[in-house]
Amino acid sequence: MRRQERADAYEEFAAARAGHLYRSACLLTAGDTHLAEDLVQETLGKLYVGWGRLSRVGNPAGYAQTVLTRTYLAHQRRRSSTERATDALPDLPDPGAPGTDTPLRLTLLQALSRLPAKDRAVVVLRYWEDRSVEETADVMHVSSAAVRTRCVRALGRLRELLGENLDEYARP
Amino acid sequence: MPDAQHSDLLDPFEERLTAGLHDAGNAFETDRAALVTAGALKGRRRLLRRRNAAVMGGAAGIALVGVGGALLLPSGNPGEAQAAHATTAKSTATSAPTPVSGDALIRTLEKLLPDGQFTKAEARGTDDGLSPYVHLVYDDGNGASAVEVGLGRVQPGSDQARQTTRCPGKAFTNYDACGTSRLADGSVVMVLQGYEYPDRRVDTKLWNAELVTPQGQHVSISEWNAAAEKDAPISRSQPPLSPAQLRKLAAATAWRDAIDAMPVDPNSPVTPPSPSETGATLSVTSTLRTLLPKGLTVSEAGDTDDSGFGYLVVDDGKGKTLVQVNVQADMSDVEGDLFGSGAEVLSDGTKVATHQGPGEKGGSGVVMWTVDTIRTDGRRVVISAFNSGAQNTAATRKAPALTMKQLREIALSPKWL
Repeated sequence: MRRQERADAYEEFAAARAGHLYRSACLLTAGDTHLAEDLVQETLGKLYVGWGRLSRVGNPAGYAQTVLTRTYLAHQRRRSSTERATDALPDLPDPGAPGTDTPLRLTLLQALSRLPAKDRAVVVLRYWEDRSVEETADVMHVSSAAVRTRCVRALGRLRELLGENLDEYARP
Repeated sequence: MPDAQHSDLLDPFEERLTAGLHDAGNAFETDRAALVTAGALKGRRRLLRRRNAAVMGGAAGIALVGVGGALLLPSGNPGEAQAAHATTAKSTATSAPTPVSGDALIRTLEKLLPDGQFTKAEARGTDDGLSPYVHLVYDDGNGASAVEVGLGRVQPGSDQARQTTRCPGKAFTNYDACGTSRLADGSVVMVLQGYEYPDRRVDTKLWNAELVTPQGQHVSISEWNAAAEKDAPISRSQPPLSPAQLRKLAAATAWRDAIDAMPVDPNSPVTPPSPSETGATLSVTSTLRTLLPKGLTVSEAGDTDDSGFGYLVVDDGKGKTLVQVNVQADMSDVEGDLFGSGAEVLSDGTKVATHQGPGEKGGSGVVMWTVDTIRTDGRRVVISAFNSGAQNTAATRKAPALTMKQLREIALSPKWL
């Protein structure tokens, strides 16, 4: 493939996937849109570097999502607590906490922000990206068993925060 | 949770969660063109940084792509090239190996195994992500057994490569035999004859071979003495392939050819967190050794490459004690789960929680003493000691060889920071 053809192919691919990658990143960061932009830019940058090979991969879109998830998790490992992104909302009490007058309803994003990063990543991969347990394990470099454990725990926490009837949660 | 078809069989909560995520996700919009431009710019900068750094033989492959402008190669000549990468000497500037399909991998395995019946084959080819594998049920006439091959890459000479072919310590894994050998071509292969369940609650045997070549190709072969890893009855006394046969199968060139056909991961190959990520400059095991009270002899030690986890098996003359330490860089998000309102808070803000109770992995009479600490920056250091040399073997003494006070001193040492 001539250089200019490859350049065009990369730009076309990146333009086609940027929107979805951004939406995924917003879910992974539980609504931190600035961080989401940074993550997508970093992901697209990495894909640019590997584009020669990547263009021959069977599912570059899926692979882009994998790179995004891993980039997010690597970012989480590195940051110190002094530069915490505002992905947690410290002032919100749990719904139904003693002392609240009315049951407080969280948005789904707020509930997601209460999960640890890896649990959130599993939820996004399984239910937004519709990956199987094994594919998720592959993305996160962990065992299938670890994925299942995280998933059960994350769903349990989300159930607690959102209540069994998801239809009642407040929409943003 | 179902594995193969994720969309089927979701419970009502999962279905509503899926719908909710789609609602939430689709509400986010952005300037796509700006993202693409910024992303390509970052990519170009990344390439130039790599070009300027020394490119050693172990680096992942790089394809230099021009987008709207010429990119320079190390020699300063514009044009196409690919830097030599870890996995193959065969790649050229213009061709790439054709992908190897899952079906081809299945056929390869069937050909390499001795005669028998093959059923329930499944596989993932090299163009389908970074973990190609084959899994099938093989019956050589003496009973059906599950056999699995996994393919991948490691950075040659890295900690991960070494750990892959190192026999596990017996403190953590119950097994019958393990040996590592070097082949004539410089590859290292470990064969482990162990069990599916470390506590041997069912006697399903798992034998596996891990082979790493000097070029970083990693072949993993697993076999069981049952038709499935878990919850299938044992069909024979041993898995079908002997250790020698496992080594030979792992060394087959067909697997290396398939690995070479895998796409290159634009990220670096996976390595354990670097010391700068966990903040430790020594491995956990080495640091633990320097903090041990006097009077203890060490009979077994964990990897000295790991900066997140380490262990020692020590003895004060009255029986073995396993001591293990986890160091985790930022656990602030689960701090509330680990340290309840009753946790002690020191003058510098460090929290300390202690637990003493039965062990978690089934050894008879085993107790586990734990001191858990978290600093104000989220760094967690948790140490546990047992009254046995391993968690799943019976107690060898009444109490661990270190007191809670000694464990606490170790966990609070500034050496972990």
